Amino acid sequence: MISVKGLYHSYSKDDKYAVKNVSFEIPKGEIFGFLGPSGAGKSTTQGILTGLLSLQKGDVSVAGYDIKQIKQEMFNKIGMSFEQSNVYSKLTALENLKFYSRLFDVPTRDPKELIELVGLRGKENIRVGEFSKGMKHRLTFARSMINNPEMWFLDEPTTGLDPAIAANIKDIIREQNNKGITVFLTTHNMYIADELCDRVAFIIDGEIKLIDSPKNLKLRYGKRIVDVEYIDGSAKKKGSFSTVEQKDRDALASILHSKEILTMHTKEATLEEIFIKVTGRGLGVSEAS
Amino acid sequence: MLNKIWTIFKRDVKVNFREVMPLYIMLAPLMLAIGINLITPGINDTTVNIALIEGENPAQEQCLNEFAHVETFPGEAEVLSRVKERDSLIGILPGDNGYYILAQGNEPESVVEYAKLLNVFFESGVDIENSKASIVEFGETVPPVKKMLVNILLLMIPMLSGMLITLNIVEEKADKTISAINLSPTSRTAFILGKSLTGMMISLVTTVVCILITGFYNVNILLLLLVAAASTVLAMTIGFIQGINNDDVMEAVGSMKLVFLPLAGSVAGYELLSGGWQAFFWWSPFYWSYRANNIILGKEGSAGELLLYTAIIAAICITAYALMLPRIKKGLQ
Ligand SMILES: Nc1ncnc2c1ncn2[C@@H]1O[C@H](COP(=O)(O)OP(=O)(O)OP(=O)(O)O)[C@@H](O)[C@H]1O
Ligand SMILES: [Mg+2]
Repeated sequence: MISVKGLYHSYSKDDKYAVKNVSFEIPKGEIFGFLGPSGAGKSTTQGILTGLLSLQKGDVSVAGYDIKQIKQEMFNKIGMSFEQSNVYSKLTALENLKFYSRLFDVPTRDPKELIELVGLRGKENIRVGEFSKGMKHRLTFARSMINNPEMWFLDEPTTGLDPAIAANIKDIIREQNNKGITVFLTTHNMYIADELCDRVAFIIDGEIKLIDSPKNLKLRYGKRIVDVEYIDGSAKKKGSFSTVEQKDRDALASILHSKEILTMHTKEATLEEIFIKVTGRGLGVSEAS
Repeated sequence: MLNKIWTIFKRDVKVNFREVMPLYIMLAPLMLAIGINLITPGINDTTVNIALIEGENPAQEQCLNEFAHVETFPGEAEVLSRVKERDSLIGILPGDNGYYILAQGNEPESVVEYAKLLNVFFESGVDIENSKASIVEFGETVPPVKKMLVNILLLMIPMLSGMLITLNIVEEKADKTISAINLSPTSRTAFILGKSLTGMMISLVTTVVCILITGFYNVNILLLLLVAAASTVLAMTIGFIQGINNDDVMEAVGSMKLVFLPLAGSVAGYELLSGGWQAFFWWSPFYWSYRANNIILGKEGSAGELLLYTAIIAAICITAYALMLPRIKKGLQ
């Protein structure tokens, strides 16, 4: 569904790349998570894939269309929920969706049904200018489904939503995916990524560090992490050690050998911990939900 | 493509009627038109009304009827009392040596002169076939000040619709909706054309309404619309550029005000400068619009002359549009 080979992008058109040598493939029907700290190049990559940013270097095809020369009709097949909501504040929710649906050449979904789907029932005829941030975000999300896209781009679909609504959005994404829709999901929310994604890519400073399924990542890093609390001199210290990596094994061995151990147990690593482990960096933003 | 242009057009019109600022911009010309009517006498008021004695001279009655609105009364006394009423009505009555003109004294001079002239026409046996002069004379009954004010109003209308385009673009930018449009199978050209259609329709409809309000029923409205359409193209080009370059509504509208400077300059140039100096304004589409409108409103000039002016305006405006289009398209990314 998506194929990216050797993608580079520089906003200043020099060698300061926001995205460097990015390559990946997304087969049809997959939910692909794109994870990385702020400024990593997630939105830039998504911008190129959707044609909002021009392709500078690399080979990219989306839904069977070469991005080098985008054909208008490609947009009938893709949907995009924007990180920052972008709906007309002077139109009502219903008018917004009706207007947008008329811009497509393919059968579109019933605007009312979509509004209800994202929990905005009863708000159809209110002008969006009076909506809260979260409500606008949900409407933007609903709009991205209007043309029954085969390829669905979601940039932070759950940001700023309360946990119950975020869970509702998550269910919608899964439901759509069950119908065979391919999803490119950008998020900071590791729980959602963990639950939804078939595979995730870790991206840092414009480069992809790793692509794998959450399940494989956990097999590799999960359960084999040992949390140790110990006394070092007079201070109480904590540490997490992989039982696979030689460096960690040596460090753990030396602690076991010479320090007084308070507690010690193995545990399942979260995706966030794996991310930190792999990239040496945190995700910066993490959500409560 | 066409139905998408229509969709974009409908949305813009809807939004324009919902907001105070666009509504104000759209209503301003109509208020100005009413204002012009209040401060200058209307053209139809100056159509001369004449009172005659019924059956006194049927040949005279028939002749005058060709040039003016004739009312007949049973006798001299009735004519006298009718003339005394408030409106401008002139009596032409038989006297000792020929006819005499009966007026109240507060009628516009032109009306009295016109009545006298009509009487002379009759007495010297002139009728409408051999009197080209009477048509010119009739044209002169449009007060020149009114013609000038209406003409200036007609120049302003396209500029105001350019402002509406600016407001619509600033709105799209504030809501960040252009990126959503770009992710639909709607080309940037369709987007620009949809918005342009809004500006064009509002400009042309307002022009017609203003013409009707100010009472120019008999002019060639199609020609006026042609001139308006050409300058609307320019106004919208400026409107798009201003919208792209500004993020704030007030700022954007404020910078559109600058356009009124060449507009005023062109009008002043045409009205005040002698023939040779007029060439200094040949670059200005406002100058040509004003000149063309002047002829149309006054029902003067030949078709060829008008066509030439309209062609000049269209050439200037379409060149500007073509030069700016790539910048507009890029700006909407
Ligand atoms: N319009 C732009 N002009 C210049 N530089 C930009 C622009 N947009 C992004 N960048 C730069 O490109 C890099 C990648 O930004 P990008 O928006 O892709 O990050 P991101 O991973 O989406 O971050 P976030 O999680 O905050 O949304 C950053 O260094 C950013 O400063
Ligand atoms: Mg981003």
